[in-house]
Amino acid sequence: MILDAPAIAGLYRSHGHVVLRRARTLLGSEADAREVLQEIFTALVRNPDAVRSAGSIVGWLYQATTHHCLNQLRKARTGARVLELHVRPAMAETGGPRGEAAAEVRRLLALLPDEVAAAVVYHHLDGMTHAEVAELLGCSRRQVGYLLERAQGLWDRAEQTA
Amino acid sequence: MNLATTPLSWNACLSALRLDRWMMGELDAADAESVGTHLSTCAACSAAVAGMRGVREEVRALPLPPALLGRPPLRRPVPRGAAVAGLGLALAASVLLMLRTEGAGERRKGAGVGLVMYVQHGDEVRRAAPGETVAPGDAVRFAVSTPAPAFVAVLSLDPAGRASVYFPQGPRAAEVPAGAEVPLPLGTRLDATVGEERLLGLFCTAPVELEPIRLALQQARDAAPLPTDCQGLRWSFVKR
Repeated sequence: MILDAPAIAGLYRSHGHVVLRRARTLLGSEADAREVLQEIFTALVRNPDAVRSAGSIVGWLYQATTHHCLNQLRKARTGARVLELHVRPAMAETGGPRGEAAAEVRRLLALLPDEVAAAVVYHHLDGMTHAEVAELLGCSRRQVGYLLERAQGLWDRAEQTA
Repeated sequence: MNLATTPLSWNACLSALRLDRWMMGELDAADAESVGTHLSTCAACSAAVAGMRGVREEVRALPLPPALLGRPPLRRPVPRGAAVAGLGLALAASVLLMLRTEGAGERRKGAGVGLVMYVQHGDEVRRAAPGETVAPGDAVRFAVSTPAPAFVAVLSLDPAGRASVYFPQGPRAAEVPAGAEVPLPLGTRLDATVGEERLLGLFCTAPVELEPIRLALQQARDAAPLPTDCQGLRWSFVKR
C-alpha cells in the first residue's frame, strides 16, 4: 500500500472536516483553523507513516488537531496577541458575553499543562467518555479522572487570579 | 466557570469522536447500528451530525493545499499484510480503498483510486464500511475517487451467485471526472436476497464492455480476470 500525495488529497477531502470543525471551535478563528487544516495534511505528505501506523484515522486526526491547536493557543497567549487575535475577533463573531466567555475558555486552555488541556478538550469540548479520552491519551480511565479533577482545580484558580 | 458548561462544551449525548467515527465508517457493524438507531430519535445528536456534514461539504469545496497538488508521489511500499494489520479494520473502512491497493490479481494503474458506498436506511444516510451489514430495501449509492478521469463501473455478485452491473446503466464503463468521492449518478435499492454481496469497482482507461466482465464475475467470482485496461477494487457487504 502506498500513501502518496493523491491518496492524502483523497484523505483531505474525505476527512478534512474532522480537523476544520474542531480547529474552529478550539481557535475561534476561521483563518487559524484553515491554517491548521493545511498544516496537518501537508505534514502528512512529508511523513505518511504518522497516520499509517494509527489504528484509527479519525482518532489520529483528533490527536493531531488538538496538539496543533493547543500549541497555537499557547503561542498566542502572551500579551496583546491574545487580545488581538482571539478575544476581540471571538467577541465580534459571536457577540456579547457568550463570545467573551468562549475566548476566556481558550485563554485558560492555553494555561493548562499539555495533557490536562487535552483531557479537557476531549471530555468537555468533544463530549468524550473517560474511556474514549483514555484511548486517545494512551492512559487509564482513572488517570483521565485525575486529569479532569486537576483541570477544574487549575481552572478555578486561574479564574480567581484573572 | 464549570468546565462542563462553557460556551464551547459539547451538547450532544454521543461524543463528537463517536459520531465522526460513525460517519467515516470506523465503527463495527453493531456499534454503527446502535449509533444509527440513536440518531433516529435524538435531535441533539442529529443536529451535531448535520453540522459535521455541513463542514465536510465546505472542505470539499476548498482548494487543495499546494503540497497535495502535482507533486510526485512518495512511493513508500510497506510489506504486504503488515500495513493492513497495522491500520486495522476501522481504517480500512474509510480510507484503505482510497490508497493504492496491493491485491493479488488486480492491475494497478495510477494512484489513489477509491470506492465508497453510502447507504440510506429509512431517513438516515450513512457511509458504509466494507463488511457492514445492510438491510434488504436499503438504497445504496456509490462514490469514487480517481486522480485522473477514468471509465468506471460497479458490479456486484449477490449471495445467490448472480452478477449484475450497479453502475452505469449503459453497456460500457462510464467516464467519471477526476476528484475525491465523486458521487456516481445512479443509486440502487437492495433486493431481498440475503447473505454476503461482493462488489467490484472498475477503473479503466477505456470504455470497456461490461457484459463479458459480468459473465466472468458470475462464473469465476474473485478469480475473474480483469481487462488489461482496468484496475479493480473489491468490497463486500452483508445483507440481513
